Amino acid sequence: MKTVNSVMLLETLRENTREIILQAEQLKNIPVELLEKTPAKDKWSAAQVLEHLNIYCRYYLDAIEKKLHHDQTETKAFFTPGWLGNYFTKLMEPENNGLVKKKMKSPANALPATSPGAKEMLDEFIKHQHHLLNLLQIAKRHDINKNRIPISIARLITLKLGDTFRFVIAHQQRHFIQVEKTIKAVKPAILKPEPVLN
Amino acid sequence: MDTHLLKDFVQQIHPLTEDELTAFCNGWQPFTVKRKTILTAAGETERYLYFVNEGVQRAFYLGDDNKEATIVFTYPPSFSGVADSFLTQTPSLYFLETITASNLLRISYEQVQELQQRYPGIQQLIFKATAFALKGALLRHIELQCFSNEEKFKTLLKRSPHILNLIPHKYLASYLGMDATNFSKLMNTVSI
Repeated sequence: MKTVNSVMLLETLRENTREIILQAEQLKNIPVELLEKTPAKDKWSAAQVLEHLNIYCRYYLDAIEKKLHHDQTETKAFFTPGWLGNYFTKLMEPENNGLVKKKMKSPANALPATSPGAKEMLDEFIKHQHHLLNLLQIAKRHDINKNRIPISIARLITLKLGDTFRFVIAHQQRHFIQVEKTIKAVKPAILKPEPVLN
Repeated sequence: MDTHLLKDFVQQIHPLTEDELTAFCNGWQPFTVKRKTILTAAGETERYLYFVNEGVQRAFYLGDDNKEATIVFTYPPSFSGVADSFLTQTPSLYFLETITASNLLRISYEQVQELQQRYPGIQQLIFKATAFALKGALLRHIELQCFSNEEKFKTLLKRSPHILNLIPHKYLASYLGMDATNFSKLMNTVSI
């Protein structure tokens, strides 16, 4: 991505976040047993994916909040992504056909528990999304080029605030495709009709 | 920014003085969005009052079975936004999305508050617009509770015949609280 209008970028990211909220709200109507079931031995349940995303939200939203709280910069009309920001976002972003490009391994510090509670994880996740919406709104009044946020796996490396938002949201979009697949995979296993006994 | 539709619309609800009208129209910002864009999510508090210059939007509630119950449509010329959330500044229970690409104007809650405090005519305008919206909502409540599918269908077409070409039928079916197959049956059998 090249230079873009800052407010338009933040507005688009808010729209993306609302789509994630809709998908998350839909998960509320899926039985908890399904959300907590792993499709295969080495794969995550939907609840585990949500915990993984919550781990990211806990770190990034807190870091962004603190940054914006003390920030004195003024809004800048344009945002130019950094090369690292573009690289990380591209790595995460689903393709246009809605598929995830390449499988990746989670960093050790973002691994979920073996069986987190789906309801708790989902409630926490939705809360984070509303927080994220607010931060995106507040960020419209700040310079998203100059403000930088350390990345979670190497605090010495920082991304521009605009890129941090892009990365966090693309990461969530990626994992929501996974959640959809996971639920499809575990559904028939439970809903299979009982064999008829004569 | 194109405010002539807005001006005409407002004058029909409650005529404003020249000063009031100028002050009212100055606060709006143009806002263009693609189709299928969520403008307000459930749980979010509505920050804006919208005015529709172009395009169709709908508000829907996510039911237990993830079925979407369409609550209201908005199309030009009219206000849009999650009205109850906007007026009470409490979280919305439903989603507001664009069905087609939309050309909107919007104004923030704080700005509307300020205008209302300064200009009695604008206060009156917002009051009347809210009153009509309430009237519409209660009327629809009656229709949903007491009317047969055929009556609902006929009433809708009598009130807004152009809606049939404007809005995908699956959303109209959901608005009337019937499933899509029943709706298309009515389309084929009921003479308008």
